[in-house]
This record gives sequence, structure tokens and C-alpha cells, in this order.
Amino acid sequence: MWEVALIYGFINSVILALTALGFSLTFGISGVSNFAYGAMYIFAGFASWLLLNKLALPFFLSAAIAVILTAGLGAAMYRFVLLRVRGLVISEVIATFGVGLIILELFRYLGFSGFEYTLPVFSDGSLLIGNTYVDYQRIWIVGVGIVLAIGLYLFTHYTKIGLAFRGIAQDEHTALSLGINSDRIAGLSVAFGSGLAAIAAILILPRGTIAVNDGYDVLINAMAVCIIGGLGSSVGVVLASFLIGYAQIMTDILSGPHWKMIISLVAILVILVVKPSGLLGKQKELEERI
Amino acid sequence: MLEISNLMVFYENAVALNDFSMTVQSGGIVAVIGSNSAGKTTLMNTLSGLIIDTKLKEQRKGGERITIYGKIVFNGEDITDLYPSERVKRGMVLCRERHPIFPESDLLENLWIAGYLRKKPEIRKAIDYVFELFPTLVRLKSRKAGFLSGGEQQMLTIGMALVVKPTLLLLDEPLLGLSPMMQTTLVDAIKKISLETGLTIVISEQFARPILPMIDHGYIIENGMMTLDGTGLELMENPEVKGAYFGV
Repeated sequence: MWEVALIYGFINSVILALTALGFSLTFGISGVSNFAYGAMYIFAGFASWLLLNKLALPFFLSAAIAVILTAGLGAAMYRFVLLRVRGLVISEVIATFGVGLIILELFRYLGFSGFEYTLPVFSDGSLLIGNTYVDYQRIWIVGVGIVLAIGLYLFTHYTKIGLAFRGIAQDEHTALSLGINSDRIAGLSVAFGSGLAAIAAILILPRGTIAVNDGYDVLINAMAVCIIGGLGSSVGVVLASFLIGYAQIMTDILSGPHWKMIISLVAILVILVVKPSGLLGKQKELEERI
Repeated sequence: MLEISNLMVFYENAVALNDFSMTVQSGGIVAVIGSNSAGKTTLMNTLSGLIIDTKLKEQRKGGERITIYGKIVFNGEDITDLYPSERVKRGMVLCRERHPIFPESDLLENLWIAGYLRKKPEIRKAIDYVFELFPTLVRLKSRKAGFLSGGEQQMLTIGMALVVKPTLLLLDEPLLGLSPMMQTTLVDAIKKISLETGLTIVISEQFARPILPMIDHGYIIENGMMTLDGTGLELMENPEVKGAYFGV
């Protein structure tokens, strides 16, 4: 049992980190809490499914197009909705949640529900680790998740756009006075975050069916991880993913799967009471010290 | 190089700048001297275009109404309505007051972020120049900028602006909150920048004493209006300036 918990806890943690990275990145840079994040995830799943099954495109091509389309949808949401309410936190939350609701419920209304809505796994078969079988799709998730996290770190620290992301995240006016167009970079960050949600969807959704309701779960999990880790902190996101990931697996094993989501919500409550800036909400703490 | 004609800025119905005109010739140091709330920061934000961004954001959320009249011409181009990032591309860079830096990034990363519009070799060259100008910063390369002292942060702020490779450098109250010794260091550095690079510099400042001796031309601003102008020497000799700024 402990071996299963250890292996699947690790995989679950990487899945959580993967789903939360985009949400954290967008918030960390533009300060926008993208409550349409779960909808972007599901949109990518259905877009890929449509391209694969209705246009008969190869899977990896349909996946790549779905990622680009989702990033485009994020950029369009920023340009036509968020730009108007930028800086008004409550309005941003309501607007993005509204966009998310429209996307998700539109899919439900159009009848996108059922077991036929699945994406193919990258490769069949499973691997024996110790005495536990792990399917190759989960190995893919872990591999791509780790590569993506490292890639994201390198991107934000060693590329011009990445450094501009970090600049805007810390002081928009200073960045602006150095020639960085804050609206453009913030729009890019929403597009980038949505693209990351799409990559997560392409990797994770083949494990089951594409269900509209998963959009809401993804949003809650991403929020839980980001709040616990410290909004905007990438290392915090990874740390919180492992905490919640293992907590969920242990809860699943000991109490049953229906308690899994409760763990995320309770964790949010506890961290908000005990340490509102999150485990590694460094920037906030630094500001408080200064 | 820079011509400001009849600039007026209103925050709602309050006048922050009142019919302000000024000319800056290429290659010199020009100062705008004024007390608190005289309109210096509004002038700098209007020149750099930051006020356009603030105005836009206030408009979006139905906040404070900011109105701007007048004309700003930079190198023959009317830039009055130009967005700040576009002004930076044209060579006009502002160091805002209270040494704004990126506190979570280390000192070196701050300089790299500042090089957003430049190519890597240009950034490296500019960073070398910044370290030559401010040798104190060399040993602080890896320190988080938020943990630097006020003076070090101000050096970094000027360094960041230099990495952008401006043709016109706007310094908004660079001496604010610094010790007299640090003020001298910064004044020397500003003089050195002007001599070595030929950069045009506009400084807004309330401490007239260290600034006036090094400027080519100065403007005294009170309640948003220009009340006096002249060379540094003329202003230092002026009895009103002596009374108001030197306590004589």
C-alpha cells in the first residue's frame, strides 16, 4: 500500500503542479486571477478531440493546434474582456469566471458529454516500478511535467520575454518606464497560462473522458495549489502540489475518493488562516519587511 | 531636442501643471527645481508618458479624470499622446522618484530586465559601463535589489536607465532620501555620465544646492507654474532662489 501511495502520490503531485503552473504564471505576472482557467483546460480537450475526430488530423498535430487555439482564446479574453477591467480585482474575477462559465456550459449545451469524448494515450502499456504497475501515459505526464517546470524556469530567467514577465510581475510602472509594454506582456501572460492549461489537458485527459465538470475541479485544484504555495511563486506551486498531491492520495487510500476534493478546500482554509501569503509568498513578505 | 509648449495637467479640477513651457538643448543638463507639490513629478510623468498610462487605467475603472493640454515635441516629433513604451523606444527614459527597482530580482537581473529593448551584446556593454560608473554595485551583483540600501538602489535605478541606452535621461528627484555623502556620489556620477556619454539629462529636484552648480539651464517651478529660469550660475545668484532654497 505504501509503495502505491508513494508512486501515485508523486504522479498526482506532478499532475497538480502541471494543472496549476499556468494559473500561477498568469497571476504572478499580470495579477489576473484567471477563473476561466478550468474552462481553457476543457476547451483544449474538446478542441483537440474535434480536430482529431472531425477533421481526422493526426493526434499530435491536433494537440499542437489545440494548444495554440487555447492560447489564442486566452489572448482574446484579455484583449476584449480583461483589458477593460484590469486592476479591478473583483471585476477581473467575475469577468473571467463568466467567460469560463460560458465556455463550459456551452459545451454542455451542445451535447459534449459521454464516453466517446476521449483523447488517445501517447503510448500503450505500463511499466513495473517495484511491485506497482504504472501506465506509460502517467510516465509521460511526469516526464513532460518535469521538463515543462524546468523549461518554464529557464524561460522566465534567461529570455527577454521571460525577464519582462518577471519585471511586470514586480513593478509594472518601473517596467513601463523601461520600455516594456505592460498591457502587451500581461496579455501574453494570460495567453501563455492558457497554453499551459492546454498542454496539461492534452497530457492528463487521455486518462479518462473529457467531462465539462472537470473544468471546475481543475480550477479549484489550481487555486488550492497556488494559494497554499504562495500566489506567483513557482517553487511554492511545486511544493504545494506535493503536499496536496500526497494528501489526496492518502485520503483516497484511507477514506475513499469522495474526500479528495475536501482536502484541497480544507488546505486552502487552513493556509488562509495560518499564513495568508502562502508557504513561499516571498514577494508579499518582502514588501511587508520593506 | 525637447520642446514643451503650454503644458497643462489637471487631476479632476485641480491644476498640477499650469501653462508650463521649456526647451532642452541636446547634450546638456537641465534642472527643474521646486518644492514639494510644485508639479515636478507630474511634469516628469507627463514627459515620459506614464501619465498617459495612468489616465487610461483611471478611465477604464471610472476613476480620477486626468486632462492634458499642450504639446511635447521630441526630436521634431509630436509625442504628446504617445504611450510610454513608445517614448522609450525613441530614446526618452525616466528614473522615477524613490528609486524604483525590481525588489525580488537580484541586482544583475534588474539590469538585464532593463535591457528588454536592447540586444545581448549591447546589454553586456552597458552593464560593464554601469559597474565602471558605480564600482560599489559590483560586489552586490547577486544581492536581491529589495535588500540594497537607498543609495545603492538609486545607483541601480540610474544604471537600469543607462542600459536602455537613452538619448534623453529624465531623473525624478534622484537625491530624495539620501545622505549628503551619497548625494555627492550621485551628483558626481551624473556629471560623469553627461561628460562621457554626451547624454541629455533633465533632473527634477528639490535640493537646489548640489544640483545648480552642475546644470546648463534651470527652471524654478512653483504651484505648477514656471516662475524663473536661467543658467545654473544665474539661479544661484538670484536672491529669491537664495532665500527659498539656500536659506540665505
